[in-house]
Amino acid sequence: MQLRELFVPSAINLDLAAETKDEALKELVSCLGLDGKSEGILYKMLKRRENLGSTGIGRGIAIPHCRSLVVTRLRVAFGRKLSGLDFKAIDEKPVRYVFLIVAPPLEVSNQYLPVLGKIAQFGKEADVPESLAELSSPEQFIELLEAKDL
Amino acid sequence: MDQQLELLLEIQDLRMQRRELTDGSLTDLEAEVFDVKIEDAIQSLDEKVEELEQRLGRGIRARYRRIADKAPRVVAPVINGICYGCFVAVSTARASEADRNLRVESCEYCGCFLYHVR
Ligand SMILES: [Zn+2]
Repeated sequence: MQLRELFVPSAINLDLAAETKDEALKELVSCLGLDGKSEGILYKMLKRRENLGSTGIGRGIAIPHCRSLVVTRLRVAFGRKLSGLDFKAIDEKPVRYVFLIVAPPLEVSNQYLPVLGKIAQFGKEADVPESLAELSSPEQFIELLEAKDL
Repeated sequence: MDQQLELLLEIQDLRMQRRELTDGSLTDLEAEVFDVKIEDAIQSLDEKVEELEQRLGRGIRARYRRIADKAPRVVAPVINGICYGCFVAVSTARASEADRNLRVESCEYCGCFLYHVR
């Protein structure tokens, strides 16, 4: 399974309205098309994970993630906020690129860990923040993943 | 959704998170990529779970303890009428759309609390 097959255009937002970390998490959760109650539960879980330590891994990238019963399959979303969000990231720099990953407790194909690992690796590549800054459409985001053979 | 069921869901998700930090599957990734202090994280999750457990009603808490002490899964998702705790179909009488998640139900086969996933 390639990363690009998991991202649907409706869950790629290159211009988040969010001004804060919490708002960004809510906005990305709302891309997944869940009902309101499930969105609330998922948001709470993501917050609880952030309380264990920020998922901002540095260089403007954050990867909030969790498992929850409210989803039936692995879901991902990408959000960009060029003016930056205070995410309490490891390097204390503002976060501009947010990759959301949520998975059900049981997955037939066990994709959660490999997907989390792949996105973390992608986020560490030297040219990635700049490439993400230059995107002008969700399609280009997919093309970027394709160029990286992800 | 029933408030007690929502609490149970939260507890279940946190227990899952804790298990993944301790059984090795997520430990390295969380420690190395996200710089999580694993022991602190486990302690913090334990405290949170305990706090939520206190908010369960007496009857439900007793049922919860019976399951939680012997199995990792307390709440099982029901997807397309199948309990994913034991992979047996839950009886159709209780699978009606309108009643879903409005009260706390248990699977008659495996004992798990049931959460109907849309
Ligand atoms: Zn069952």
